[in-house]
Amino acid sequence: MIRVAAVGDIHLGPGSAGALRPAFATLGDCADLLLLAGDLTRHGTREEARVVAGEVAGLGVPVIAVLGNHDYQSDQEEAVAQELTAVGVHVLEGTGTVLDVGGTKVGVAGTKGFCGGFAGRSGSEFGEPEMKAFIRYTRTCADGLAGALRELREGGCDLRIALTHFAPVPDTLAGEPLEIYPFLGSYLLAEAMDEAGADLAVHGHAHSGTEHGMTAGGVRVRNVAMPVIDRAFAVYHLPGRVEAPAGP
Amino acid sequence: MTSHDMVEYRIAHLLDRLAREDLAELGVRVEAHGAGVLVRGGVSSPECRAEVLRFAAEELAGLEWREDVTVCRPGPPDHSEELS
Repeated sequence: MIRVAAVGDIHLGPGSAGALRPAFATLGDCADLLLLAGDLTRHGTREEARVVAGEVAGLGVPVIAVLGNHDYQSDQEEAVAQELTAVGVHVLEGTGTVLDVGGTKVGVAGTKGFCGGFAGRSGSEFGEPEMKAFIRYTRTCADGLAGALRELREGGCDLRIALTHFAPVPDTLAGEPLEIYPFLGSYLLAEAMDEAGADLAVHGHAHSGTEHGMTAGGVRVRNVAMPVIDRAFAVYHLPGRVEAPAGP
Repeated sequence: MTSHDMVEYRIAHLLDRLAREDLAELGVRVEAHGAGVLVRGGVSSPECRAEVLRFAAEELAGLEWREDVTVCRPGPPDHSEELS
C-alpha cells in the first residue's frame, strides 16, 4: 500500500512560520510522500518561500510540489522554486519524478496548469493575441503534463499521480460560483491525464470546492486545497505493486 | 446614484482589494445576500481573518453585512481514504 499525503493552498509567509510544522512532523507515521498542490505562498516572494521550505525541510518523507498562481505573483517563481529545491523538494513543471516506495515505483508528474474552462464551455485559441496566448499557455501546461506522464509509463512506474494546481475537472469545483469556473481550471488538463493515463489526480486552487471528482476517462481527482480538506493534509491509500506469485 | 451606492460595485471593489493588497486573498466570497452582503470562506490564520473583516468593514461601510469567515484547522488528519 502506498500512502499519499497531499495539501495545497497553504499560503504561508512570515508570521505563519511553524503553523503547519507540528502536523507535518506526523507524516513519517502516516504517509510515504507529501504532495504540495501549489499556492504555497501568498505573494510568491523568496522570503515567503523560505518559510515554506522551513515547514517541509527534513520531514523524513519525499516532498513533491507544483507552484500555484500566488507563487507567480511577484515574478519570482524561479526563486520560489530554488528555495524549495534547496531543502530537497522536487518542484515539477511539465516534468516528473520517480520514487521507490517499498519496491513500488511511484511516479509523480506535475504542472501548475492554467485555466480556460471545461469541455463545451471553454475559451479557445481565437481572436486577439491575448486570448490566443491565454489558451495556448494552458495547452502548453497540459502537453507538459501528458509528456511527463508518458515518460513515467515508459520508465516502468507501477503507480502514476498527476499533480496540478488548477483543476482538471468541474466536479471538484462544486461550491464555487459557476461564473468563475473558467478561471479555476481547464479540461485540457483532464484530457492529458486521460490520454497519458494516471492512477490519481491531485489539485488545489478552488477553496470553496469539494474534495472528490473524476475525469471523463475515470481518473480519480482530489481537490486538496486546505480550506476544502480543513486539515493540514489529506492521506490517500493506493495499492502498491502486486508481487507475482512465487513459482513452485 | 453613484457607484459608491451600488452594492454590486462595492462588492467588486472589496474583492479586488482583497486580491491586490498585502492580504492576496482570493478564496473569500462576497455576495449580495438577503437585504445585505455576506462575506464568507475559509482563511489560513486568525490574522488573515481579522484583515478580511477589516477590509470588509471599510469597503461595505453603510451597508448591512454579515460574515461567516472561518480559519482552517492546520492539524493532522484523523482518517485516510482507501483508493482500491
